[in-house]
Amino acid sequence: MLTCKQVSKVLQNEDYENLSPLRRFLLMFHIKLCAVCGKFNRQVIDSQDMCCNFKRQEESLLEKEPPMDADRKDALKKLLSEQSGDSTLHRS
Amino acid sequence: MFSSTHMTFIDGHAASVIVPRKSTVTSQPKVPITPPEKWVELYSDYLYGFAMSRLRDPEASADCVQDTFLAGIKALNRFDGSRDIKFWLRGIMRNKIVDQIRKTVKENKVDIDSEDETLLESFWFRFSGIATTNPEPWQFNPRKQYDNTEFWVVFRECIDSVKNPARQAFVLRVLEDMTTEEVCKIMDITPNYLWVLLHRARQQLKELLEEKWTGPDVM
Repeated sequence: MLTCKQVSKVLQNEDYENLSPLRRFLLMFHIKLCAVCGKFNRQVIDSQDMCCNFKRQEESLLEKEPPMDADRKDALKKLLSEQSGDSTLHRS
Repeated sequence: MFSSTHMTFIDGHAASVIVPRKSTVTSQPKVPITPPEKWVELYSDYLYGFAMSRLRDPEASADCVQDTFLAGIKALNRFDGSRDIKFWLRGIMRNKIVDQIRKTVKENKVDIDSEDETLLESFWFRFSGIATTNPEPWQFNPRKQYDNTEFWVVFRECIDSVKNPARQAFVLRVLEDMTTEEVCKIMDITPNYLWVLLHRARQQLKELLEEKWTGPDVM
């Protein structure tokens, strides 16, 4: 049986989802029964779970971000063509 | 592929058999290198969006894109073609984002405010590391919203609204999957204080979501 301190320490350093099945079981067993840290750590697990799911969705959400400023892009294009020209010369 | 010979015993006699061994080197398709002149056109918006999602600062994000492209050109010789150059550049950008956060943290040193001090110094937390506060239950069940794309858009907005330095800690530890030690080193804080910052970020995120999310299942 894990102690409150061990449960808090594990959740501080790792995501619940990444734990081994045995550790996950022991952790959840403690959290379900514990009157001291149960409510708090249940919300920590919920939050970790939500963030894991968010990371899976993140790639598609990036498309909704505003594009880069057009002037900045032009300046960057110029800089890159100079730099890539230099590095091509340097490589050859 | 038959690549190794093993000795085995059949009816007491040694016999040589060839055992197929799983190939340890998988041949990966080589991805062609996009010339740097085309990077701005193809990847700048994607990388800028990624930097914005981490830094929430248009100027710093644009600087990050520029630094990433320049570092990419220098390191192009080392690109092995095992993945799309877009993701290779994103890998470089992760380091630039960490550098940017480190710079911001240095400029605005993370101070422990009185509220955090109370929590850190509380008897239970100091001597046991156990959080005993009883948070309010969620006003809706977030797990039921996972299939709803709109929920994640709102979630993104809420992350953006979390205040620094809690947001910076959240980005590094949760979104960038860095270890506690790495984040503490970058932000120059103790592991206990990192815990407080993450707790604060989670609390703010929950409050913001409850305020902004108006989808189904809201009580």
